[in-house]
Order: sequence, then C-alpha cells, then structure tokens
Amino acid sequence: MLPLEKPQQVHRALAWQGEIPTYNIYTFGIAGERFFRELKEHGRFLGTRCPACHLLYVPPRIYCERCFASLEEWVEVPGRGTVFTFTLAYYDLDGRRLEHPDILALVRLEGAHGGVLHRLGEVEPGQVAIGMPVEAVLKPPQERRGSILDILYFRPTRR
Amino acid sequence: MPFRRVAVVGAGMTRFMRRALETPKELAFYATRMALDSCELTLKDIDGVILGSAPDAFDGVHRKGEYLIDGAGAFRKPVMRGYVGGGTGVWAVIQGWYHVASGLFDTVLVVCEEKMSSCYPHPQGAFNAIFDHTLERPLGTNLLWIFALEMHRYMATYGITERDIALVSVKNKRNGLDHPCSHVAGNITVDDVLQSEVMAWPVKRLDVSPTSDGAVALVMACEEKARRITHKPVWVEGIGWCLDTSYWTNRDLAYPVYVEKAARMAYKMAGIVDPRKQIDIVEPYDPFDYKELHHLEGLGFARRGEAPDLIASGVANRDGDLPVTPSGGLLGVGNPIAAAGLMKVAEIFWQLRGEAGKRQVPGKPRRGLAQAWGDLMQVGTVVVLGI
Ligand SMILES: [Zn+2]
Repeated sequence: MLPLEKPQQVHRALAWQGEIPTYNIYTFGIAGERFFRELKEHGRFLGTRCPACHLLYVPPRIYCERCFASLEEWVEVPGRGTVFTFTLAYYDLDGRRLEHPDILALVRLEGAHGGVLHRLGEVEPGQVAIGMPVEAVLKPPQERRGSILDILYFRPTRR
Repeated sequence: MPFRRVAVVGAGMTRFMRRALETPKELAFYATRMALDSCELTLKDIDGVILGSAPDAFDGVHRKGEYLIDGAGAFRKPVMRGYVGGGTGVWAVIQGWYHVASGLFDTVLVVCEEKMSSCYPHPQGAFNAIFDHTLERPLGTNLLWIFALEMHRYMATYGITERDIALVSVKNKRNGLDHPCSHVAGNITVDDVLQSEVMAWPVKRLDVSPTSDGAVALVMACEEKARRITHKPVWVEGIGWCLDTSYWTNRDLAYPVYVEKAARMAYKMAGIVDPRKQIDIVEPYDPFDYKELHHLEGLGFARRGEAPDLIASGVANRDGDLPVTPSGGLLGVGNPIAAAGLMKVAEIFWQLRGEAGKRQVPGKPRRGLAQAWGDLMQVGTVVVLGI
C-alpha cells in the first residue's frame, strides 16, 4: 500500500502485518519534469542557458549556481556528444561478477556544460576511447516513461 | 589575526580492523581515553566535544552524533557533529580549531569514529543514495564507477599509466607495516596491483582502500592551556576548506580545484608561499592510489600531471625529501572514513613531536599538512600543523 492511499478499513491503519517498508518517492523538480517530458514525448534534449556565465546546462536547471540567476532560456540540444571519460564495470550492483563488462560513460552533449552518465552500446569495450563521438539511442515512443532509462544507451555516431 | 592560537596537545587511536567486536561507542571510548591519557587530562578538563562521523547508514544508527557522545567524552558537555563525507576527519579538526580560536572554549576533544562493518551485505549499499535520484540511480549506480571515471580522466589528460599510479599503493601499504594500528599493510609489488582483480577499469582491487572499523581522537587547547599541558604543543598554523559543485558531471575531473582552494586558504593563514619548500611532511587523502597524486597536485606539491614523479623518484618515501603518507594512509592502515581523515592529522602530530616510532621520518620535521576529501568527490579539507 502506498502511504498516500487512504486506509479503507480502520484496522489496517492500526496494525501492519510484517515489516514496514520504507522508501522515498522523488519528484523530478521543475527543470527535470520539463526535461523528461520533452524526452518522452518528442525525443528531444533540452538545456537552459545562463546568459551571464555563458553556460548551457544539460540536464537543465532553473538557476545558475555560479551567479544565482533564474534561468529562463530553454534551448534544444542534439542527442549527440563525446565520451568525456568511461569505465568498464565488472561487477553489478549485487556484487556479481560480470563476464562482459558494462561500459559506463560520462557523455558531454554538444555545446553543453555538464553531461549525462549512461551506458554505451553497439560497441566493444576495446573500441571505446575518450573523445569518441556518440549519439543517444532512445526507446520507441510508446515505451518511454519519462526516465533516464528512456535512453537505451549511447552508441558511436553514425554518419 | 583576531584568533587565539590553538594547539593539538594529545592524540589516541584504535586499531583499524575489518569487523570489530566493540560497539561504535566503545571504539570512540578507546581512542578518546587514549588521547586524554596522552596529555594527562581528564574529562573535567574538557570544555566541549567535536564529533566526526560519516553517513549514519554505516553504523546503522540514525542520530549517530548523539548516540556516540558518552564514548566520546561528551556527557553533559556542549557537543557538535559536523559532516562532509570523507572530508569529515580533517573538517572536525577545523571545527575544533574555531571552537577554541574564537575564545569560546579553552579545551576540546575532537573524536571521529566509523564502524562500517555493521552495514550489510556491504557498505557500498549505503553509498548508492549519494547519486542523483532522477538522473543516475535508475542506471544501478555503483560508487566505484565515479572513481573509475575520474581516475581514467586523470590518466588520459596527462598520459599517466596504471603502473605510475600503482606505485602509490605499493608505498603506502609498505609504510603501513610500521603502524601498530594497520589493517591492510603489506609488501606488494607494482605487478601485484596491476594483476589484482579489475573491479571497474582502471580501478583494480589493490588500487582501493578497504572498509574498516576504528576511531581516532585529539585534544586541542588554547595557547595558555596548551603550554601548561605539554612542553611539545603542535600548533594549528592554517586551516582551509572548500566544496565544488554537487554535479560531479560538471567538473573537470582531472584536477581537484576545490582542494587547491582549500589549500590556498590554509597557506595564506600559515604564511606559506611555496608548500614544496615550507612543508616537511604531507598526509594527503588516499582512499584510492590515484587520489594521493590528484591531491598532491591540488595542494601545490607538484604541477598538474607531475605528482607521479614524486613517487617514482623516491622523494615521497619516508626517508625522501618530501615524505608523503608516512603513516601508511588509508591504503596501508585502513579506511574507517572519518577516523581515517583524523588519523592523518594525528600522524602529523606524532611526527612533529618525534613520537612516530618506526614510522618516524628523519630530519626533525617542523611542519606538516593533512588533507581529506569526500562527499561526492567535491570537498577538500586542509590543516597545516607546525612546531
Ligand atoms: Zn550564471
């Protein structure tokens, strides 16, 4: 039962059988909501620009941490960028050894300040290099849920 | 300067270990009692207590600050807990410093404790919630990833090899053999490091410090009290700290500018213009071997990308011109997060007093620096001590 649901039977509110589950429900925030709606509905990446600091934040923010301006200029950026750094992860989250390592990269999108942490796909570990041009591969529109996982992975850019 | 002079006058430390039978309170008590005994003080002589401890999730006690107070000698005393992740151990000394420098307290205990073994199945789990809940955690983040990403960026930017970096692990684990509290010391070779299991390339098992249980405590006092307590006070000459953006994705990764800013603050206060010439010993934070190099550059002991030369040439050995991590550090002694940072300050204290035993660096060092680092790879905390 979600904590937001209203108990229909009073005894359920007084007695909980078993362990009480605790977890958090996170909101995406003002900037995050717009970013992920755009990604989900139109497959586009948005950033916000600080006119004073000349920085284009992707993922976007509603304020600039350097000058504390409110950011109101929304800009579309291509889902392309370069590998800023990467790692080959040989363990999953449960501590299980992976035969084929996960390739995790910090991708800087074109013209943007910041980046996106994501997996690389359609590439072998030995072929990945810092500076390599990559592009986002998105899930089909009907499968997107408004999540960073709407991006399946980044792959080497096809010309 | 409108501050009172402040000295460290006593120190104590437990063994660092894998799985302590002692409770966190008991670990804190051992270190605190040892620190008091080392300068022949009792709890009655202490005006206030600073507690340092990393996330509550390790010990598994929410309100860990309040929970620890009896073991830290804080019964019915003013107590304060500060927290900047891995930077906490040195940050606690900075807090101790301004409690006394301000004139509000004459004597304080600074106590740092961590019992990471309580966290099951592995303390890694407690780290997952440090990642952004919307942008990163859905990927199944693992803390090792970001260190691997940073290490790789450092290597690629300056052309540094895994072999260059492994030398740090070899040195620190060797230095740790002479520390009575060490948990993971040993004589290993560069090849041992290179051939150890790849966890998240380029990070291999022997590039990484362990998770440990342990506690460290210091006694700090104003000048008037310090001179009565001991004939060998070790003065706090400079302090500095700085936090970079909490978006690790927006940082340079090859150079820790926030460490430089923290160091500059401390150097200005201590009157240091050339750290390489004016500082005799360094204890930079070394949870990973590449971090020691990263930090030596941020602290101004080497130009960008050139810290590996200090290690390879032997300059950083205990008998070298600039001993770096003579204690053995986190890689050699162990890494109970906050306590590990405070251990670095304690090491400088013992070294400057000539009390470091088999670890003593030759040549009567007069000034040393301890630095810690943490949060989401974004905080630098620096203390300069001198006699
Ligand atoms: Zn700005």
